[in-house]
Amino acid sequence: MFNRIFAIAKKEMRQLKRDTRMLFIVFFFPVVLLAIFGYAINFDVHHIKIAVYDQDRSLISSEYFDLVTYIDNDDQIKKMLDEKIVQAVVVFPKDMSRRLLSKQEVKIQFLVDGVDGTSANVIQNYVNAATYSYSIQLTKEYLAVTGKNLYVPIDLQPRFWFNPDLQSTRFLIPGLMGMILIITAVISISLSIVREKERGTIEQINVSPLSSIEFILGKTIPYIVISLINATIVLLAGYILFDIVIKGNMLLLLLGTFAFLFAALSLGVFISTIADSQQVAFQAANVTSLLPSLILSGFIFPIESMPIAIQVLTNITPAKFYIVILRAILLRGAGISAFWDQLIYLGIFGLVFIALATLVDKKSKNK
Amino acid sequence: MNAIEVKNLTKVFGKFTAVDNINFDVKQGEIFGFLGANGAGKSTTIRMLIGILEPTSGDALVSGYSIKNQSDLVKKNIGYMSQKFSLYNDLTVVENIRFFAGIYGLDGKKYEERKNWVLKVADLENMENVITGSLPGGIKQRLALGTAVIHEPKIVFLDEPTSGVDPISRRNFWDLINELSEGGTTVLVTTHYLDEAEFCNDIILINAGKLIAQGNSKELKTNYIKNPILEIESDRIVDSMEILEKEKWVGETSIFGNYIHVILNDNTINEGHIYDLLRDKNGISVKRVEKITPTLEDVFIHLIEKDSKKNVQ
Amino acid sequence: MKTIFQFIIKELLQVKRDKKMLVVIFMAPILQLIFLGYAANMDVNVIHTTIYDQDKTSTSRDFIKRFEQSGYFTIDHNVSNYEEVTDLLNEGKTLVAIVIPKDFEKKINRRETAPLQTLFEGSDGNKASIALGYIQGIATKFSQGIVAETKDKLGMKISLSGSLIPEVRVWYNPEMKTRNYMVPGILGLILMISTISLMSMAVVREREIGTLEQLIVTPIKNYQLILGKLIPFTLIGFVVLIIVMIIMTQWFGIVVRGNRLFLLFTALLFVLSNLGIGLFISTVSKTQQQAMMASVFAIMMPMIYLSGFAFPIENMPVVVQYITYLIPLRYFITILRGIVLKGIGFSSLWFETLILFGMGVTLLIFSSLRFSKKIE
Repeated sequence: MFNRIFAIAKKEMRQLKRDTRMLFIVFFFPVVLLAIFGYAINFDVHHIKIAVYDQDRSLISSEYFDLVTYIDNDDQIKKMLDEKIVQAVVVFPKDMSRRLLSKQEVKIQFLVDGVDGTSANVIQNYVNAATYSYSIQLTKEYLAVTGKNLYVPIDLQPRFWFNPDLQSTRFLIPGLMGMILIITAVISISLSIVREKERGTIEQINVSPLSSIEFILGKTIPYIVISLINATIVLLAGYILFDIVIKGNMLLLLLGTFAFLFAALSLGVFISTIADSQQVAFQAANVTSLLPSLILSGFIFPIESMPIAIQVLTNITPAKFYIVILRAILLRGAGISAFWDQLIYLGIFGLVFIALATLVDKKSKNK
Repeated sequence: MNAIEVKNLTKVFGKFTAVDNINFDVKQGEIFGFLGANGAGKSTTIRMLIGILEPTSGDALVSGYSIKNQSDLVKKNIGYMSQKFSLYNDLTVVENIRFFAGIYGLDGKKYEERKNWVLKVADLENMENVITGSLPGGIKQRLALGTAVIHEPKIVFLDEPTSGVDPISRRNFWDLINELSEGGTTVLVTTHYLDEAEFCNDIILINAGKLIAQGNSKELKTNYIKNPILEIESDRIVDSMEILEKEKWVGETSIFGNYIHVILNDNTINEGHIYDLLRDKNGISVKRVEKITPTLEDVFIHLIEKDSKKNVQ
Repeated sequence: MKTIFQFIIKELLQVKRDKKMLVVIFMAPILQLIFLGYAANMDVNVIHTTIYDQDKTSTSRDFIKRFEQSGYFTIDHNVSNYEEVTDLLNEGKTLVAIVIPKDFEKKINRRETAPLQTLFEGSDGNKASIALGYIQGIATKFSQGIVAETKDKLGMKISLSGSLIPEVRVWYNPEMKTRNYMVPGILGLILMISTISLMSMAVVREREIGTLEQLIVTPIKNYQLILGKLIPFTLIGFVVLIIVMIIMTQWFGIVVRGNRLFLLFTALLFVLSNLGIGLFISTVSKTQQQAMMASVFAIMMPMIYLSGFAFPIENMPVVVQYITYLIPLRYFITILRGIVLKGIGFSSLWFETLILFGMGVTLLIFSSLRFSKKIE
């Protein structure tokens, strides 16, 4: 049995070795993508472009804001926001100084471009904080003159563990890794099996004493090897380019990666059993792995914010589980207690799809 | 005017010379056989002649047009069918016919007429709405040929059209080729079935990109093998062959099924010598020894072996 | 003309006949937009919270209550020592732990400042900072309440000094719902993926099957072959476009504030530039496998990440920002969000529209030229 599996694996390796363009794409692109996207993706809202009316520059001195322009009438506000020239407009009322001196409250208006709700939310937090701290400073200065102290009942002391600078890049990179790995795995294995179907070489294999399982294993082994190499390259690139040190246990990382690849490849094998042409396989691989690993995996969008039905649906992508594992090991250095359940999910996922694939395969052979 | 005139045609891929300076003419209306082993350069030559592959040097006139700078005119006057089945498997018979007719600009009455002709020659009358992929190989092949000549080209190129087709379908296919030829179409066909080569008016043989023989089948048999050939039937073929090859008067030996063909170097050797050597000296029972006229197969094996030896030196 | 027409019919017949393909082409975008539209939501409204209340007084309970009532915080764990806090944070089971000090009530009653420690599992920096914003809001309100109370007690009436109150107005999307922002983006993504992956297979598939060789032996012209491929796929792309537009407006109830016809027109330009890219891949690839890998890795992934669909382009390093200019999806998403959410038109979007048009035309011409009727 092992001889036969080995024979298939060897054949597959040889074919892959010969297709240099394909090898280039499989090994080279993930690193390039990781490099470019790793720098590109972050949600850190810095340099918010603002436009202001007044002379007062207290807000703009913060590193979070970039003053783009001063404007002097209401019509310009609309143009600024419509054409995305600025992200927020600050309007200081005319009688601001007078009212401040007469110890009244002054309302400062902030008009924020809300198209990107997340950024708008962050901008809102920033302007609130900036205004309050300026206000407190004013009060303190005033009280200092009269020899009194400002009473603040609660002093908030936030501490951010694992990521003191609140950078989002480090959080996103494991997701990016998962996505790159799953796409390479699912597409390459499903295409390689369907190609044999399309070319008719699978008939030859069907008449040989090789069983479905042996055939599938033989096909899968080379891709497991390739994907493992790929995973290593991607992790190395993450370390070199983004300083992502593996805080946790290396062996656990390997175990998690292995479980993930098993799940991803069995999804690919399943696709190949339902598709008769490379075209259909490709579309199916796209539908099941490209967008789901981006959107449903918890990579960008928090799963707990999704409606329950969609939360159930997120289990369609093994990337979801892998990302949890990666983040635990890479970012928090957590042990197996933090993610053992994810490993089990990955195992179940893989077994379910392998079972489905064998079932569909048997059915189509009996036809 | 000849239908095709090939002059010093050469194609080099990197360091590999696939077609090496070949010259030949194809007469109007004849069936021209183009023979050679796999990889000898047949397909490369055909691809140059039909204008989809640029020659490295040399030129050819197809239907009077140069393949180098008039390839569009060449394409209007030829039909082509390759060993790979090249109709759309997922379209029906009539959809395939309509598509290719459309590409060649056939419409109205002419289209109806040609469609019916294709259906007739492919034996697909009343089956025009069948999905092409579900047809048996032989029928598919005839449909492909019918479609390839739907625009009634003057010349048709067939690249191993019958590979993988059963003998009866091959016979039917050749009937169709003969029909085309009788109608005045020039047919250039590559094949490695040598019985098919016997149907051709003229034949050329290429090996390793070089033209090594040409003529009709009779000329080939008489011009290239001058020495007598003996056919030997014995019960231990391989042993017999080894024994024979040690003799000086034996030129070449080859196995044809249960027989051995021996080309002699020496005209004075006859059947008696064989019996003497195999039966009397080595105790092999020899059933039959007979002097034969060479088949095309003998000729080709002889020529290719000679040519390969020369290449090695 | 007739030749092209026959070609179009042939392509459409082939699509029609492949039932699995039909399902994938038309059903997948619908399902994807619906599911992903619900999923693509960055609103932070579930914050897993741990409370370590060392004080256990009515003041501290009152304070905790405000978190419960805010609607954002889900208090999953009430713990009684630091180790538990550490474990929960390490295992990622909680986003924030709020530690209320022992003498919380006492200090407040004595008009002293009580330190409030909040520990964040900060790996998701974005989420943590939004959560901090919410906590700041709650703490500030609580503080103001206490200050007002003490003032009342002490009979102070006037405020001590003038103060500034921020008044934030969010335009276009007042509830700051990410869905309104994401759904148009996903629409663009889906449109891109379906058109590019279809077109990238168009030529290379025929090459692999062998029919391309048959075609290039016929007198068919390059442009006829290209148009014959392009027109049917444009039609299909347009049908997909209409379907996803209907879902966006009818299912998700996202109102198109701007001109719908202008939106369709720009979408068509976008489809054309995608087809140009697909055609290019298809003509340079030798096998379908190569075509697919190239379209996913060299085209689709960069388009997804660098289009501004989820990751704001302004946040990227300058060099990467330059790369984004090469990406058609970037322009289309800007146009799409502009028309749908802001209701702006050509006068504000002429630049993006022109670039899309230019890209479409250039890409199509370039790949037609690249496609040669000779074989290698």
